[in-house]
Amino acid sequence: MTTYSDIRGYRVKYLSSDPTLNTSTEGQVWYNSTEGVLKSLVQIKAWSAGGNMNTTRYEAGGCGIQTAALGAGGYNPPSPGGLTATEEYSGYTWAAGGNLGNARYGAGSAGTQTAGLLFGGANAGTPIGTNVTEEYDGSTWTAGGNMNTARYYMAGFGIQTAAAGAGGTDFPSPTIVSETEEYDGTSWTISNNLNTGRKQFSGMAGIQTAGLVFGGDTPGVTAVTEAYDGTSWTAVNSMNTSKWQGTFGAVGTATGALSFGGRTSPSPTITSETEEYDGSTWNISSATLGTSTRNMGAAGSKSAGLKFGGSVVTPAVTNSTEEFNSTIYSPATGAWASGGNLNTSRFTLAGSGTQTAGLAFGGFTGTANSGATESYDGSSWATLPATMGTARYSLGGAGTQTAALAFGGRSSPGPQLASSESFNGTSWTATSNLGTSRYRLAGIGAQTAALAFGGNSTVFPSITLSTATESWNGTSWTSVNSMNTGRMNLSGAGDQTAALAFGGGAPNVAATESWDGTSWASVNSLNTARNASAGSGTQTAAISFGGNPNPTELWDGTNWSTATPTTTARSFLGAAIQGTQNLALGFGGYAAGASAATEEWTLGSSAAGTASTLTTS
Amino acid sequence: MALFIYGTATNTGKGFFTAEDRRAFFLRGFPGDVWVVGNNEKGALWLAEKNGVEKTKAEAQAIVDAEVAAAQAAWDALPEEQKTNLNSQRPTAITLP
Repeated sequence: MTTYSDIRGYRVKYLSSDPTLNTSTEGQVWYNSTEGVLKSLVQIKAWSAGGNMNTTRYEAGGCGIQTAALGAGGYNPPSPGGLTATEEYSGYTWAAGGNLGNARYGAGSAGTQTAGLLFGGANAGTPIGTNVTEEYDGSTWTAGGNMNTARYYMAGFGIQTAAAGAGGTDFPSPTIVSETEEYDGTSWTISNNLNTGRKQFSGMAGIQTAGLVFGGDTPGVTAVTEAYDGTSWTAVNSMNTSKWQGTFGAVGTATGALSFGGRTSPSPTITSETEEYDGSTWNISSATLGTSTRNMGAAGSKSAGLKFGGSVVTPAVTNSTEEFNSTIYSPATGAWASGGNLNTSRFTLAGSGTQTAGLAFGGFTGTANSGATESYDGSSWATLPATMGTARYSLGGAGTQTAALAFGGRSSPGPQLASSESFNGTSWTATSNLGTSRYRLAGIGAQTAALAFGGNSTVFPSITLSTATESWNGTSWTSVNSMNTGRMNLSGAGDQTAALAFGGGAPNVAATESWDGTSWASVNSLNTARNASAGSGTQTAAISFGGNPNPTELWDGTNWSTATPTTTARSFLGAAIQGTQNLALGFGGYAAGASAATEEWTLGSSAAGTASTLTTS
Repeated sequence: MALFIYGTATNTGKGFFTAEDRRAFFLRGFPGDVWVVGNNEKGALWLAEKNGVEKTKAEAQAIVDAEVAAAQAAWDALPEEQKTNLNSQRPTAITLP
C-alpha cells in the first residue's frame, strides 16, 4: 500500500501546535494534538476584484504594496496627453492623491505609497520621452533629479532613495534603450546596460541591488529574464511565454516575482496568463487575471500582487483593479457547533433521524430510567407527549424522526431487555422482541429494515460480549451471521444491507467490521480505540465521535482519519443515526453528570468558505 | 503569553459556539460550565460575547474539581446495579489543559 511517506517523502508528524506556515511546509500533513485535527497546508492562488480607480487609465506608474499602493499618471484617450492624476489604494478603495507636476504615461516607478518615485515617461500626444523625476511624500509630488536619458516604457524598481530604471525607448520610436540608471534620492547615475535592450516589459521586480526584468519588445516579443545585482545584468531562466506590454511597477523581488497580463505577440492578443518566478524558474500559475489586460499599473508582492487600470479588449481602457493572492492555509477537516440543549439531560440514550430532523429517546438521567422522547428541528429540542412504553437505557435505535424503532436496553433494576417499540411520530407501540435480549447494543437502518448487533447479553453484573446480529423486517427479528468481535457500547453506521460497526468495549475496542447484508468482515481499525462513542453515516462514509477517549474519526470506506473532537468531551451520547458523515448530530451523554448539550458536525465547509472569498476565472 | 483563557459561561444551545468559532480558536467545554478558550482576539471576544466570566486556570480547575467530586459522590451513592450504567467506572479527575 502506498503511504503518505512514499508520496511526499515525509511522515505525518504529531505536533502540539502548527508548524510555521510557509512554502517549506506546503503540501505537508500533520496531526495537531492540541486541537485534535489532522491538518495540511494547501496553497490557494487567485485573482479577485478590487475597488475601481476613480480615473480610467492605462500605462500608469505603480508602487507600494497591495493594501497601500500608489498609481500615478497614465493615459486616457482621447486625452491629448498623459494624466497628472494620482490615486492611493487602501486595499479596498482608491482615493485621490496629489497631482503630478508633469503629466505623463509609460513612466518608470518605484518606492511606496508615502515615498514614491516616478521618472521618465511620455508627456504629450506625440510620444516624446521625458527625463523628469518626481518624488511623492504621501500627499505632494516634488521635483527630483532628471534622468540622463529621456525615455518611456522602461522598467523601474527599488525605493525612492535607491531606485533603478532600465531599458525603454526614446524619441523617435522605436529606438530601443539598453541603458540602466540608478537614483540615489538626488541624482541619476548611468550603470551597465541590459544584455537584451527592450521596452514595454512584461514586468519587473526587486530593489536597486537585486532587480529583475522580464519580457518586453526587443523589437520582437521576448521571454528573456535578466537579474540585476546593483552593477550588472545576468540572463536567468526565461518566462514560459514571451510577453510584452505588461505592467508598470515592481511586483515582488528578484527571488519571487509575478508576471501577468500583457500581450503574447504583436497581434492584438491580450492575455490573462500569470507566471510566478521563484528565484530560479518561471511557472505558469493556476490563477489568471479576471480580465485579460495589458499596460497596467502594478504593485505588491508575489503572494499579494495588484493590478490597476490598463487596456482591455472592450472597452479599450479600464479603471478596474484586481488583487492576486497566494495564500497558504490549513483547511480544517470539519467542525462542531453547538445545537439546542436537550430538555432532559441524560446519557446512554438512543437517536434516530438526521441533523435537522432528529429524535432522542430513552436513556438514564443519573437517577432514573428515561422514556422521554424529544424531537429536534435543527435548532431546538421539543419534548413530545409520547413516552416509551418501557423507559430504558443503553438501547438500540433506528429509523427517522417520525418512524423510529427502539430495541433492547435495560430498565434498572432489572435484566436486559428483548422488547422493541415502534414510533410513528405520535406514539410508541410495542413490537416483536429481539431473539437475544441485550443492552449496550448498536442499531442502524430504517424502522422497517433495521439491524441490531453486539451488546451485553447476560444479566447484571455479568458481562457477555455479544456478537449476535439480528435483522428486522418491520415485523420480526431474524438472527443472521454474527460479528467477528464481541463488544458492547459500540457504534454503527449504514443500513441493513451495508453497515459498519466500530469501537466499543470492554476494554476499549478499535476494531471495525463491515456488513454486506450477509456477513461481517474485519476492515481497518479506528486510530483510537474507544468505548461508548456514537456514530452515523454510511458503510463507506461514516463518522465516529465522542466516547472515551473522544476524538472524532472519519471513515472513507478504507481507512479512518482523525478530525477535531466534540467541544465537550463526553461518553454514552446519542446520535441521529441517519445523519451523514458531513452532517452529524450528537446529543446528551455523560461528562461528570448527565449532559443536555447537543453538537452539530459539519464537514467540508472550511475549505469552501476560505476559497469562496477568492474568485478565479 | 498564555495559550488559553479560562472562564465560565452557560451553554445556551444553538449558536453558543459555531463551526467558525471552532475553526478560529481552541475551545473545549468542561463540567461546571467551564470553557477553555484559545488565547487570541477571537477567542477572547467569544467569551465576552457569551457573558462569560474569566477565571484563572486555578479557579477554573477548582470548579471542575468540585463538579467531578460531586459526580463521584453521586456515583458512590448509586445502587451497585446502577453503577453499570457508566461501565462501573467512577468519574475520574479532569485536568484542564
